[in-house]
Amino acid sequence: MKKLIVLLVVALFAMTAAAQNVQINGAGATFPFPIYSKWFSEYNKLHPNALINYQSIGSGGGIRQLSAGTVFFGATDGPMTNEQITAAGFRILHLPTVLGGVVPVYNIPDVNAELRFTGKTLADIFLGRITKWNDAAIKATNPNVNLPNLDITVAHRSDGSGTSYIWCDYLSKVSPDYRKTVGVATAVNWPVGVGGKGNEGVAGLVKQTPGSIGYVELIYAIQNKISYGSVQNAVGEFIRASTETVSNAAAVAAKQMPKDFRVSITNAPGKNVYPISSFTWLLVQQSPSDRTRSAIMKDFVKWALTTGQKFAPELGYAPLPAEVVALELQALNTVK
Amino acid sequence: MSVMVRRRIVSRIAETLCAGAVLLALVPLALILFYVLRQGIGALNIAFFTEMPKPVGEPGGGMANAIVGTLILIGIAALFAVPIGCVCGIHLAEYPDTKFSSVVRFAADVMNGVPSIVVGIFAYGIVVLPVKRFSAIAGGIALGLLMLPIVVRTTEELLRLVPAGLREGALALGATRGRAVFTVIVPAALPGILTGILVAIARVAGETAPLLFTSFNNRFWSTNLGQPIASLTVQVFSYAISPYEDWHRQAWAGAFLLVAIILTLSILARLSVRGLEKMNRP
Repeated sequence: MKKLIVLLVVALFAMTAAAQNVQINGAGATFPFPIYSKWFSEYNKLHPNALINYQSIGSGGGIRQLSAGTVFFGATDGPMTNEQITAAGFRILHLPTVLGGVVPVYNIPDVNAELRFTGKTLADIFLGRITKWNDAAIKATNPNVNLPNLDITVAHRSDGSGTSYIWCDYLSKVSPDYRKTVGVATAVNWPVGVGGKGNEGVAGLVKQTPGSIGYVELIYAIQNKISYGSVQNAVGEFIRASTETVSNAAAVAAKQMPKDFRVSITNAPGKNVYPISSFTWLLVQQSPSDRTRSAIMKDFVKWALTTGQKFAPELGYAPLPAEVVALELQALNTVK
Repeated sequence: MSVMVRRRIVSRIAETLCAGAVLLALVPLALILFYVLRQGIGALNIAFFTEMPKPVGEPGGGMANAIVGTLILIGIAALFAVPIGCVCGIHLAEYPDTKFSSVVRFAADVMNGVPSIVVGIFAYGIVVLPVKRFSAIAGGIALGLLMLPIVVRTTEELLRLVPAGLREGALALGATRGRAVFTVIVPAALPGILTGILVAIARVAGETAPLLFTSFNNRFWSTNLGQPIASLTVQVFSYAISPYEDWHRQAWAGAFLLVAIILTLSILARLSVRGLEKMNRP
């Protein structure tokens, strides 16, 4: 009998505990998915009742679902446009969480050297103006590499993507022609090349196609063991992407951070700065009607910006500079 | 060369070509099974069935929530599609030549051809958007819509396989039409109807597209029907596009499990329909 009572009490307790669980759903960018899933899992260990469920459906999808109200928070690699914010109809806060770099990846048979690219060369390749690997422009920055007389195959994203946004944002800054003909968006009209879906799609295309060049997030290049080149930054240095050189780009931007954090840090000036770097943002509602969930979300973001940052480097992400974190913690106080 | 010899040679050639075509058709199946088995078997262990997914960098972990989620989704789908589908199929078999029946039959065939992603978007529009929440129910309804036409058509086909003598016997003994259908014909066709349901389940168990925007996915353990729920297919999809070896292995194991489930269901379906076929050939 005693056993039965104990069992009943335990069962009751388990039921009430389950009832107190708060589930929060979010969706968005694919790029930060690994670190977000790490964060939400760690946060759940600290706060067993907070179940934050994040699904990577792409930056565009995240913005759309947040606007439709089907998820509580979103995430994106390219900041929302003013029109998108107006269309959503409620106030949304952009909060940078970590940084990533986009790298030019290539596959040239018998060339193992790390190639160096200027922004202009990359823009011309993606505009279809440079079509051979032994073009004078590529040779000029790689005098010691024996470049073959091989056609260049351009690989780009076929889906709407934050990675494309960062890539185009950078190329538009260094090449007026690129800005005019292609422009900056998550999905653009590519003048040349073949499309792959997702970072993994582009990585696969480049791996399989001799003579190809594409762009992927740094972590995909490292994990797939594809060669990636260094890129000339605003002060003329050729810099290879790493968590450190990407973080440096953010430190430069921190000094003139706009209030809403919607800032592009590609081609940032400064030494040892990797030029194709970007924040990735969480999209948080500023005054949602559900205050319980909002409070948990707020607490989570605080944790992610401080304690959580230590998980970034091991997963291939660049942590936020302290100045940016300080600004964000201030902004977070406006969330109700 | 005599006519007989020539005919024999032509016949031999035709036979060889046919056998070759059969083998060619079987090769992809064998390759898929072999490849998925080879890739997936390594990550398949007890933990895969009992543990929750782990974030990148932590070894191990499993898909317990996704396995249960897939079962729940199939359960909801069956709960929704089986009763409607069976009743519909009985009607079609009983009144095969009315105008209404031909319309229903045509509608079922059209529904069968609708791409699954379209069904997903439909369910997103009518279930997810109004309540502003992804949910297991929405996913179940999407899968149910895919199951429905298959259940309708197989039920109809298999009821027609029941020998006419059974019906005539029942009617001759004074049973009403309803009584004859529900106590004689349907029980006789039951193994076949079960087969239809199994085939329909096998068909939807491997679907990803209709779930992406309905049942969504869930990193946590959840059996709450009003919340997003994990499923094997969506979990495999999201692992497969990640850059990490560890997750790729899990994706292969998930794919292997899915193939195994579907293969088992198909074999069960074959076995249960065999009984019906025997009855038909006394």
